[in-house]
Amino acid sequence: MKTSGSPAATFRIGVDIGGTFTDLMLIDDLSGETVVGKVLTTPDDPSRGVEEVLVRALDRSGLRASDVRHLVHGTTLVTNTIIERKGASTALLATRGFRDSVEIGREHRYELYDLFLEMPVPLTPRHLRFDVPERMAAGGEMLREVDEEFVEALAAELAERGIEAVAISFLHSFANPANERAARRAVNRAAPRMRVSISSEVAPEIREYERASTTIANVYVQPLAEQYLSGLEGRLSDLGFEGSFFVMLSSGGIATVDTATRFPIRLLESGPAAGALAAASLGADAGVDNLLSFDMGGTTAKLCVIADRRPAVTYDFEVDRRYRFRKGSGLPVKVPVIEMIEIGAGGGSIARINPLGLLKIGPESAGSDPGPVCYGLGGTQPTVTDADLVLGYLDPHYFLGGRMELDAEAARRSIEARIAGPMGLSVTEAAWGIHQLVNENMANAARVHVVERGKSPRSLPLAAFGGAGPVHGYRVAELTGSPSLVLPPSAGVTSALGFLVAPLAFDFVQSHYARLDDLDWEYLNRLFAYLERQGTELLTASGVVPDEITHARSVDIRYIGQGHEVRVPVPGGSLGEDDELPLQQSFDRVYRELYGRSGPAVGLEALTWRVVSSGPAPSIHQPTGDPPPADRGALKGMRPAYFPEYSDYRDTPVYDRYLLRPGDEMTGQAIIEERESTAVVGPGARIRVDSQLNLVVTPGVGDVGE
Amino acid sequence: MDPIFLEVLWNRLLSVVNEQQVALMRTAFSTIVRETQDLACGVFNTEGAMVAQSLTGTPGHINAMATGMRHLLAEYPPDRLVEGDVLLTNDPWMTAGQINDITVATPVFRGGRIVGYFANTCHAADIGGRILSAEAREVYEEGLRLPIMKLFRAGEINRDLIRLIRANVRTPDETVGDLYAQTTSNEVGARALLEFMDEFDLDSIDPVAREIMDRSEEAMRRSIETIPNGRYEHETWSDGFEEPIRIKVAVVVEDRDIHIDFAGSSPQSRRGINVVFNYTHAYASFAMKAAVSPEVPHNEGAFRPVHVSAPPGSILNCRPPAAVASRHILGHFLPGVIFGALAEALPLMAAGSDPIWISVWRGRPADQQDLFTFSLFQCGGGGARAGKDGLSATGFPSGVAGVPAEAVETLSSLIQHRRELRPDSGGPGRYRGGLGQYTEMGCRTEEAWTVSAMVDRINHPPEGMLGGGPGARGEFLLAGQERGQPKALLTLRPDQRVQLNLPGGGGFGDPLDRDPAMVLADVVDGYVSVAGAQRDYGVVIRYTGPAERMVRLPEDYQMDESATEALRSERRGLL
Repeated sequence: MKTSGSPAATFRIGVDIGGTFTDLMLIDDLSGETVVGKVLTTPDDPSRGVEEVLVRALDRSGLRASDVRHLVHGTTLVTNTIIERKGASTALLATRGFRDSVEIGREHRYELYDLFLEMPVPLTPRHLRFDVPERMAAGGEMLREVDEEFVEALAAELAERGIEAVAISFLHSFANPANERAARRAVNRAAPRMRVSISSEVAPEIREYERASTTIANVYVQPLAEQYLSGLEGRLSDLGFEGSFFVMLSSGGIATVDTATRFPIRLLESGPAAGALAAASLGADAGVDNLLSFDMGGTTAKLCVIADRRPAVTYDFEVDRRYRFRKGSGLPVKVPVIEMIEIGAGGGSIARINPLGLLKIGPESAGSDPGPVCYGLGGTQPTVTDADLVLGYLDPHYFLGGRMELDAEAARRSIEARIAGPMGLSVTEAAWGIHQLVNENMANAARVHVVERGKSPRSLPLAAFGGAGPVHGYRVAELTGSPSLVLPPSAGVTSALGFLVAPLAFDFVQSHYARLDDLDWEYLNRLFAYLERQGTELLTASGVVPDEITHARSVDIRYIGQGHEVRVPVPGGSLGEDDELPLQQSFDRVYRELYGRSGPAVGLEALTWRVVSSGPAPSIHQPTGDPPPADRGALKGMRPAYFPEYSDYRDTPVYDRYLLRPGDEMTGQAIIEERESTAVVGPGARIRVDSQLNLVVTPGVGDVGE
Repeated sequence: MDPIFLEVLWNRLLSVVNEQQVALMRTAFSTIVRETQDLACGVFNTEGAMVAQSLTGTPGHINAMATGMRHLLAEYPPDRLVEGDVLLTNDPWMTAGQINDITVATPVFRGGRIVGYFANTCHAADIGGRILSAEAREVYEEGLRLPIMKLFRAGEINRDLIRLIRANVRTPDETVGDLYAQTTSNEVGARALLEFMDEFDLDSIDPVAREIMDRSEEAMRRSIETIPNGRYEHETWSDGFEEPIRIKVAVVVEDRDIHIDFAGSSPQSRRGINVVFNYTHAYASFAMKAAVSPEVPHNEGAFRPVHVSAPPGSILNCRPPAAVASRHILGHFLPGVIFGALAEALPLMAAGSDPIWISVWRGRPADQQDLFTFSLFQCGGGGARAGKDGLSATGFPSGVAGVPAEAVETLSSLIQHRRELRPDSGGPGRYRGGLGQYTEMGCRTEEAWTVSAMVDRINHPPEGMLGGGPGARGEFLLAGQERGQPKALLTLRPDQRVQLNLPGGGGFGDPLDRDPAMVLADVVDGYVSVAGAQRDYGVVIRYTGPAERMVRLPEDYQMDESATEALRSERRGLL
C-alpha cells in the first residue's frame, strides 16, 4: 500500500485503547520485527496514553516518529460515550406523528417472565424530539415535501437553546432521501454550526426505529469523536509523525479520520473487531482459513467465526445492552459490525448457587475492583480465576509475570464456604465445576453463533487468546468438538496485531427492492458503478494505488414474503439477464447450508445491494523471536494440576513459552506460561510449535486416564 | 444426578431451542411470525412433557402448546410415526384456542427410536373463513379446521393438504410458507439435539428431563411457600362483545400448592371471544411463574404446583362449537386479575392495557389486482410495578412485538399517520402506569377497504393497585367519533381514517406519594401534562417560557413546592 509517509519509512503501528490498558504493536515491514507496548489507559484524555505508549516504543527501538509510515488506531471511545451517556445534547427531527418511534421501539419484552425489566432509554429525551411536516410513501413516492420554513425556525431555536446536534430520520427516507436532504439544508441555513446526521446516509435500511436509533447515536458521539481524533492527530504531528493516520472500523476495515468523523458510529467495537482480524490473520499464516476466534478477558468472552480468512460481518447490532447481554435490551445500531457473540464469561465471573441448588457462573463479574478473591483486594465471592488457581492452572507466583502475587488459600476458602460446602462437594469438585460450567457457557454461545452462521463447530479450529483464553481454550475446543486449538504468542496484545493486518476498506449499501425475475439490470449496473466509484475515490484519496483496489459485491435475497435475507455474492463487471440463474442457485445453496432444506415454491426477492471496496491487505511476517539458548530446555518445573481424566491432581510439566522454538513438540498434560497468560492442555493431547510460534494442539489418539 | 452435569445438559437444551427459534424467525414468511413473534418453540420428552422453551415467544402459545402435545401423541402414538413424519393441527380445543394458531410437531428419531419431539406454534396470516374477528357465532365460521394429521409423511410433503390449505386461505404463500418455516425450525432443533446426544453418549433425554422438571417444580413450590396461606379473590371486566364479561378469580394458596379457580366468571359468549381451557391454563400458569419464579427456565415442572379450574361452559372453559377466534382478549386479562387478587399478599404490578390489539386490514392497492390482508399488532401501556413505573406501549402478558410503520406500508397500501405516546394515559400512582399510544391508519386505495379490530378496555380501563389510579381507556374512533360496536367489521371509504388509541396502564400506590421531582421530569418530557400533574398528583408546576417556544427544556419548568405541599395536604385531609 502506498501512503503519504516518507518513502524510507517502513514501520507501521497499531494502537488499541481498551478499558484498562492501551496496547501498541509496532512492526518493521522489512524485517518483520515487532515491539509491543502496554500502558494504563488515561480516561481523562485517552490521547495522552497513546502518546505515552508511542514515545516509549519509539525510544526503545531507537526510532523517530517520522520513521512510521502509518498508524492504525482503535478506541472504545464511541461505545463508552454511549454507555456513559456523555455525548452531545441531541435533538431528533422525525416525520410528523413518529417522534416517539425511538421510545416505542418494538413494543416487545425481551424477557418473558421478568415483570420488572426495563427498556433501553433513547439518547434523545422526549422533549428534544420533534415532529416535522413531511411525508414519503413506501417505495419513495413523495406525498408531502418537507416544510423547510418550519425546520429553519426549529433549528434556530435549538441552536439558541444550546442544542449541539440534530438527527433527522424520516419515514421511507432510505427509498427517497429528498426530504431529509432538504431538511438538512434548512438546518444548515438556520444553524450553521449545528451538527446534523441524516438517516438515509448513516443507515439507509428499512425499519424506522432501528434507523433513527442509529442516526441519533451517530450524531450524539460525533463532537467527542471529532475532538478526540483531531486532538490525537495534533499530538502525532507535534511528535513529528508524517505518515497516514487511520482509524479501525467496527466492520474490520480501516478508514481515514475524515470518514470516521462523519460516521463515528462505525467505530463501535473496533477493539474486539481487531481481535477477530488478528485471529483471521494468524489462522491464515498457519494455513487455517476457517476458524472460530475466542477472546476471553476479565469480564466477557467474545466469539467470532472466521470463514475464508475473513470474519463475518453483521448489520444488526445493539450497544449498551442492559440485561445480561440479552438481545433487545440495548440500543439498535445498524452499521456493519464484525459479527461476534459476547457473553458474560471471563476470569472475573462470579460463581454462585441459584434457587434450584445449581451452580451458576456470571454474568456478574468482580471486574478488577475488587476482583477475584485471590487478588487480595477485598473480593469475597469466588470467581473463575479463583477456581483456575485452585486447580493448579495458574501459578500464584507468576501471575502477570510475577508482578502480582495471588492468594491461593483465600481462593480455596471462599470456594469451600460459598460453593463446595452448601453443595456437599469437595473444594476440588467445586472448582472443577466452576471451570467446566464457564467453559460450557462459552461453548454453548459458540455453538448457537456458529450454527447461525451456517457452519458446524466440529469443522472449525479454535484460536484462543485474551488474558483468560489460553487457560480455557483447551476445554472449550473439546466441548465444541473443534479439530484443533491454536494458541498464538503474546495472547495479551493479540488485538493490537489486528490493526496491522486490516486492509483499508469502505462499505457501501443501498436498499433497492426487486423481484429476482424482474431485476432492472441497467439500474443495477449504474448503482454498482456509482458505489464502486465512491470506493475508488475514497481509497485513492487515502493513498491506495487504483490497480490494487478490489470491490466485493453482494445482495441480500429472500423468498418473496420472508423477513430475513441471506447474503449472496454478486459477480463483478457488467450484469445482465444471464446472471439471474446463478444468483438463484447461490441463494439456494446458502439457504440449504443454513437451514437444511429449501423453502416452498415461491419466487425470490432482492433487497439490499452492497459493495465493500478494499485496498490490499498488508502482509506481515510474524516475529520469529530470539532463538532460545541451546543449553536450556523450555521445561521450567512441575506442579500439580487437576485433570478430570484422572479425577485428581497430577504432576504437570510447566514450560517457559519464551524458550520454545518452531518444531518443538510436547504431549499433554502440560502448562505453558508467558507473562500475560497461561495455556493449559489436557492429557494425551499433542502440542506442536509452528513456524509462527503458535502452539497448535490436537486431540490425542487413544484414551488416557483410568 | 450430578448437579454440575445436569446444569451442563440443561444449558445445552436451552441453546438447542434457541437455535430452533432463530431458524423459525429467519425462514418465516408472515410478519406475524418474523416481526411480531407470535410464536412458541419447545422441546419435549418421549412422554410429551415440555422440557425447555426458547427465550421469547408468547405465553399463550408456549403453555398451550405444552399441554396440546399430549393430544398429538394420543392421536399419533410412536408406533404410528416414522422418521420424516411431521404433525400439525390447529384444533382450538387441542392446542392454542384459536383456529389461526397452527402447531407443528416433529418426532426425533435416533437409532430407529423416538427420543423426543420438537414443536412450535405460530399464528397463521390467514386461515380462511371470516377474516379474523370476534364476530362469528360458531367455530365453523372461523376458517379451516385442521385435525391432528401429517404435514409430511416420511419426508414427503402432504400435497393434498397443502392444496386444500392454499385453496381456502387469503394468504396462501404466507400461510404455507410459514408451515415450511415451522418444519425447518423443528429440524434445526432436532439436528442440534442429536449432536448433543451423540456428544454425551445419551440414549435418552428422559432422565435429564425428569430431573430438570423436578428441580423446577421444587423451586416453584419453595417460592409459593413464601406467600401466606389464604384465599385471595378479585374480579375485573372486559368490554365483551354484546355485553361486558366478568372475570372472577379465587387464588387459594395452600402451603406448596396454588389453586386458581375462575368460578363466577361469565358464561360462554355467543361471539368469538370464548377461551378454551388450554389457553386459560396457559395464562394462569404463566402468571404464577412470573410472579414467584421468573428466573427458573420454564418447563412442565412449573405447571405442577399450579392447579387451574374454570366451570365448563363458562367464558374461560367454553364448549364446542363455540366461536373462539378472539380468545386472546380474555386470555390476556388473566395475569392482571390474578395479580389483583394477590395484591395484599404479594404486591407486584397493577393491571395494564392487557389484551394486545389485533386488527386485520383488507383492501386493494390503487394500482393492483390482488387484495392485501395485513394483521397489525399493537400494545398499550403496562401496569405500574412495585417500585417502578409501568412500561409504555409494551405488550404484557403477551410476548409479541409491534410492526414497524415502514413494514406495514411496504407490505400493504395502508398508511400510518401517527404512532405516538399518549400523554396522561398512564394511571397515576406513586409509580405511574405505562403510556398507551395514539395511532391513526389510512389507506391508499380507490375503493372500500375494511378493518376487523379486536380491541378492548374501551369501556373498562385498567385499574390501579393499592391506591393507584386507572390508566386511560382505549379509543377506537372513526373521524373522531366512537363506534357502537368496535369489534364488528368496519367498511371504510378510501379517504377515511381510523384512530386506534391504546389504553395506558394502571398506577401503583397513592399518587400523592409520588416524588414531585419524578412528576416534574414527566411533565418536562410530556408524559404528564401540567394540568395532569396538578389534577392527578397534586403537584403544581409552571411552564415559565414564552408560549410560542417549540424547544422547551427542563429549566423552563418550575415546581412550586409550597403550593404542592399545601395542595397535597388538602387532598390527604379530604381522603
